[in-house]
Amino acid sequence: MSAPLVDIAGLVIGYDAAARQVRALDSASLQVREGETLAIVGESGSGKTTLGMAAGRLLPPEAQLLDGTITVAGVDVMQADDAALRRLRREKLGFVFQNPSTALDPTMRIGRQVALALGGQPGPEAVAALLARAELGDPERVLRAFPHELSGGMAQRVVIAMAIARAPQLLIADEPTASLDASIREKVMATLVRLRAESGASLVILSHDLRLIGRHADRVAVMYGGRIVELGAVAQVLQAPVHPYTRALLAAAAGNEVPGARLEPIQGTPPMLEGRCEACAYAPRCTFSVARCNSERPEAREVAGRLVVCHRAEEAIATGAMQPQEAR
Amino acid sequence: MRLVVYLLPRVLAALVTLFGVSVLVFLSLRLLPGGYADILLGPFVTAEARAIIAQRYGLDQPLVLQYLRWVWAMLGGDFGISMVTQRPVIDELLRRAPVTLQLALIALGVALAVGYPLGVLSGTRAAKTRKGRDFGRVIGAMGASVPDFVLGSVLIFVFSVWSLWFRVGGYVPFSTDPVGNLRTMLLPGFTLSVFGVALILRTTRDAVLRVMTEGHITAAVARGDPPRVIIRRHILRNAAIPVVTVVATYFGFLLGGAVIVEVLFSVPGVGLYIFNGLLNRDYAIVQAGVLLAAVVFISINMLADVLYALIDPRVGATR
Repeated sequence: MSAPLVDIAGLVIGYDAAARQVRALDSASLQVREGETLAIVGESGSGKTTLGMAAGRLLPPEAQLLDGTITVAGVDVMQADDAALRRLRREKLGFVFQNPSTALDPTMRIGRQVALALGGQPGPEAVAALLARAELGDPERVLRAFPHELSGGMAQRVVIAMAIARAPQLLIADEPTASLDASIREKVMATLVRLRAESGASLVILSHDLRLIGRHADRVAVMYGGRIVELGAVAQVLQAPVHPYTRALLAAAAGNEVPGARLEPIQGTPPMLEGRCEACAYAPRCTFSVARCNSERPEAREVAGRLVVCHRAEEAIATGAMQPQEAR
Repeated sequence: MRLVVYLLPRVLAALVTLFGVSVLVFLSLRLLPGGYADILLGPFVTAEARAIIAQRYGLDQPLVLQYLRWVWAMLGGDFGISMVTQRPVIDELLRRAPVTLQLALIALGVALAVGYPLGVLSGTRAAKTRKGRDFGRVIGAMGASVPDFVLGSVLIFVFSVWSLWFRVGGYVPFSTDPVGNLRTMLLPGFTLSVFGVALILRTTRDAVLRVMTEGHITAAVARGDPPRVIIRRHILRNAAIPVVTVVATYFGFLLGGAVIVEVLFSVPGVGLYIFNGLLNRDYAIVQAGVLLAAVVFISINMLADVLYALIDPRVGATR
């Protein structure tokens, strides 16, 4: 297999807050293969957005790189100079943001924004063709419109069109459908996935919508406390989760419940790390934890065909308390 | 159509404002101690002499009647005559208006030329540093807190001691002697501009800082656009929206006659004329001058509202 498109190794990133530093990534490692669709799931604060934005060094100024490397298409993102970084963003990366209504310049017509994203002076046909690829009906009207005159779904299709304008190798979509009406989420997601397949690019979806991921991703990475705690093929991870956190996440997600059963919210709140976590970050909320979980930091191991960060992965599989979940 | 719907309530509000201004200026003048008769005749005259003056100018009538007669005359285009010169006030005001306009344009030009670029520079720099501190806040605070009569007095002192090209007083029209005109007009223009520089700098800086946190700027960065392009294409336009409002208010304020600076530098503009009218209790001058200044101020702001709607397509849009 060729070198991975994205190689994140031991990435540690902190945010400077008033008097302390909050750690968003606690030695996160992840590889994205060429042409795959990888989903990163986790609660708010798990570090998934930090990880996604780090791929383009799009972090706010208060973010500090403390350790680790991130390589995208052969470029060391954190060490690259401004020009190399801009070239990487322009030629290799495409971002789709959560809220399309803020991702477009409110004072500029769509046609001009898309033309600028294409670079240079593309003809109106090229702009219209790009919009058509993103399945925007009536491109004439859309081109003349201002962002506030479009619906959320249309605006997100424009954002997607702009992201693929220069045929990137890596598409990063941060909750691409979270701000849209439920009725059009699936359609917009299908467009994104189809465009990825056509271009052969890799797609990274940051999301907490497990059902959506189950349908569209090849692999899934579950994040907790700034680390990837379970990583494997979607079918494996969602249907036979190993890490107790993955199980809790699935149990808490609507749509996975056995008829008649209750949804189980995850007790407690996600951790706020201020330094390297020297235990299992999930231990305080874990119903399965033992003394060791609170004193020793678990490392990633291969268990049942996937990577898991849990001291008790084998026991967890063996115990009947953890029945495989039905994913729909 | 969008503009009409957007402007109609503003026009109505402007009329209400003008009514309020007319009542206020009328009443406050009558409430001032002393009247024209005292100024004209001095303190040692008989009551009969005062009564003659009062009768001649209708000052013995009830206030409500005086007010209504004034408003009625204005609606017919008659702004009254100066009791001192016996000439129509409107002619005198119009003759002085170009002087005030020139002063306002100098001040606004300097304020924009200095304040806007500095504001953009300051805003983009502040966004990069984590604490958001830079020179913009210092200059902004200093410029806004120095009163113009202090600054004007300092400038007059400096330039009258060392006659450095500039002149204080001795106004000549631009059309007869452009250089001589600028020698007298630049100093008061600068004095007036300092507040404007600070105002525009701070407004621009805050607007730029706010725009830079918006998602579409991150999106532009993510597309690999260089900073200069992002500033030119996205930040300047979006940040201009609040600046337009502030500039309009400032310009309206300047056109209303910068009384203190005109008096200080003996610039024969509208402000100085109104000031002298006030000293003489020459009611028609002050009333017409203040009311027309209000009309100009409101018109400029309405113009800004139109401009605002042109820059920001979301304004006044009906969904």
